[in-house]
Amino acid sequence: MAKVELKNLTKKYGEVIAVQNMNLTISDNEFLVLVGPSGCGKSTTLRMIAGLEEISGGEIFIRDQLVNEKDPKDRNVSMVFQNYALYPHMTVEENLGFSLKIAKVEKEEIEKRVRDAVQILGLEELRKRKPSQLSGGQRQRVAMGRAIVRRPDAFLFDEPLSNLDAKLRTQMRTEIKKLHQKLKTTIIYVTHDQVEAMTLADRIIIMKDGYIEQIGSPIEVFTKPANIFVATFIGSPPMNIIEGDVIRKENKLIIKIDDEINLECPQKIQSSLENKNKIYLGIRAEDIMPKETSDYTNSNWCFQKSINLAEPLGTETQLFFTIKNKEIISRMYNPKDVKVGDKINFQIDSNKVHFFDAETEKTIF
Amino acid sequence: MKHIKKISFWFLVLFLLILICLPGIWIFVSAFRPNPEILSKPANWIPDRWTIHQFTQMFSINGYVSVPAFKYLMNSIIISSVSTVIAITIGMMGGYAFARFNFRGKNKIFLGLMLARAVPGISLSLPLFILFAKLGIINTSFGVILVYVAMNVPFTIWLTDGFFRQIPKEMSEVARTDGCTRLQAFWNVELPLAGPGIGAAAIFAFLLSWNEYALASIITRTVHSKTLPIGMMDYLDEFTINWAGMCAIAVVMIVPALILTFIVQKHLVSGLTFGGVKG
Ligand SMILES: Nc1ncnc2c1ncn2[C@@H]1O[C@H](COP(=O)(O)OP(=O)(O)OP(=O)(O)O)[C@@H](O)[C@H]1O
Ligand SMILES: [Mg+2]
Repeated sequence: MAKVELKNLTKKYGEVIAVQNMNLTISDNEFLVLVGPSGCGKSTTLRMIAGLEEISGGEIFIRDQLVNEKDPKDRNVSMVFQNYALYPHMTVEENLGFSLKIAKVEKEEIEKRVRDAVQILGLEELRKRKPSQLSGGQRQRVAMGRAIVRRPDAFLFDEPLSNLDAKLRTQMRTEIKKLHQKLKTTIIYVTHDQVEAMTLADRIIIMKDGYIEQIGSPIEVFTKPANIFVATFIGSPPMNIIEGDVIRKENKLIIKIDDEINLECPQKIQSSLENKNKIYLGIRAEDIMPKETSDYTNSNWCFQKSINLAEPLGTETQLFFTIKNKEIISRMYNPKDVKVGDKINFQIDSNKVHFFDAETEKTIF
Repeated sequence: MKHIKKISFWFLVLFLLILICLPGIWIFVSAFRPNPEILSKPANWIPDRWTIHQFTQMFSINGYVSVPAFKYLMNSIIISSVSTVIAITIGMMGGYAFARFNFRGKNKIFLGLMLARAVPGISLSLPLFILFAKLGIINTSFGVILVYVAMNVPFTIWLTDGFFRQIPKEMSEVARTDGCTRLQAFWNVELPLAGPGIGAAAIFAFLLSWNEYALASIITRTVHSKTLPIGMMDYLDEFTINWAGMCAIAVVMIVPALILTFIVQKHLVSGLTFGGVKG
């Protein structure tokens, strides 16, 4: 398997910039996931690596070889498309063996490799069927099989699971993970499903408008998002973002959220906020906890709000309320009946609050 | 009430069907009966005597042949087949290019091709005649083939473009990452998938050439290059018209056309099956 390197990779469609100066090294056997909203350039990146899209600038190295000028067929990467793109006129077996046939591999070898792939993916019963006679999940499996058989340097997956229903998606996700552990291959995987990204990835890349916003392990991007975009993109429900004014009061810094909520700035970040008037607080739903206490003074980051909506999900109940007309979500882990309009005391875990610059939206702390 | 409605509906259908088919049936029947009977009044719908005299006459190798229908048939077959093969080959490549590649002025060229189809062929007949006469290819099969290729290429491009467009471009992309060159991907994946469509386009082109009259009547002069539709006019004498002969030659023209039409409709109805893609 192989290392893939992108240097200043750029793609323009006329005036539209799809990918901008992308720099990235994907190491051997790494499972790299590209996430981002629709149109951010994920597919374009993948297609450039595969050689299906001409690049406007920069360089791509696979196995330390510059492949800019190489045809897709000479790059030895396999791509799995969202719509699978199985050859409709060939049986499952023929689909799997096609690349080897083109490469003029000996017949016995083809048979052996197809047999292996069929076994790995549990397709034994379906060998003689045509794609039109398969279910969505089975087609997906055949598409993966077709990629495996070639033993490529890297796999490229473009939203391979997005056509499957929720249950099958979870199941196939696990299978892809197992497959990666079994085959030990470099995988570049595109999705806009952040759960998929978190569960599969060694490293996640969050993209927006052709730029990389952050690269890091799933835990890293979750606990230390680089900016508001990443913070709200990763995690479900999305992180609550609350605007606050920084007020100086007798050599203390106060973060004023609204008339009722004035939070004392923790010691450790006071210096970072010295010369700011406005900041954004990012608080995950699980860090705004309902608190059974009569003491709801702001000093220990407690406040009281009345509930607009309560959604019991079993293990947790999500409580919705508003601060400055913005909907805020809190997670309550000890299920108890809550009615709309109930006044509830909340406490924010001040250690887990993220602080973002109001102008750049970058993380301050 | 419901029954009556249904029955009257079917009667209407039957009536229309007969109305539409009547000329055709008349031609068939007339091809197999003696000439005088055709003009009898009142019309004689079922011939008193069936005969294949006109056909033996037409195709007789030895003996006197008034109309060299066999030669015309061969001309028709050669001209239609060759022009079809050329037109579908060019059309297939053109259609593929229009469906898969982006190049400058693509839409304008496509529009131009379609406009070329919109020009009535007969309006070109005089310039064509002069041009061909000067080039010395008047009254040759080659000349007719040239005209038919020009006539059919825009048409085959248009049809095959549509068929290639229906094939998701991921098909060829995945084939190319599977180790195919563009040509191999075309040959192994896209062509088999577009095959029925291309076949149908070829048959359409063949039928257009097979039935063409206006231009052929200008460029062909003698038995050397005349096609069946033109040859049919041989039965028009100065003083007499051999209706039976005309009908017989019409049958020779119609039967292959009918068979081909049936083949086309089967392919067009069955369409292409895209099991490889979702849904
Ligand atoms: N052929 C094209 N011509 C012009 N612009 C294009 C073309 N293909 C893609 N784009 C643009 O490039 C940008 C990136 O597209 P891309 O397909 O990579 O997005 P994506 O991240 O894969 O989105 P999605 O999640 O919807 O698949 C988009 O703004 C898109 O409009
Ligand atoms: Mg995409």
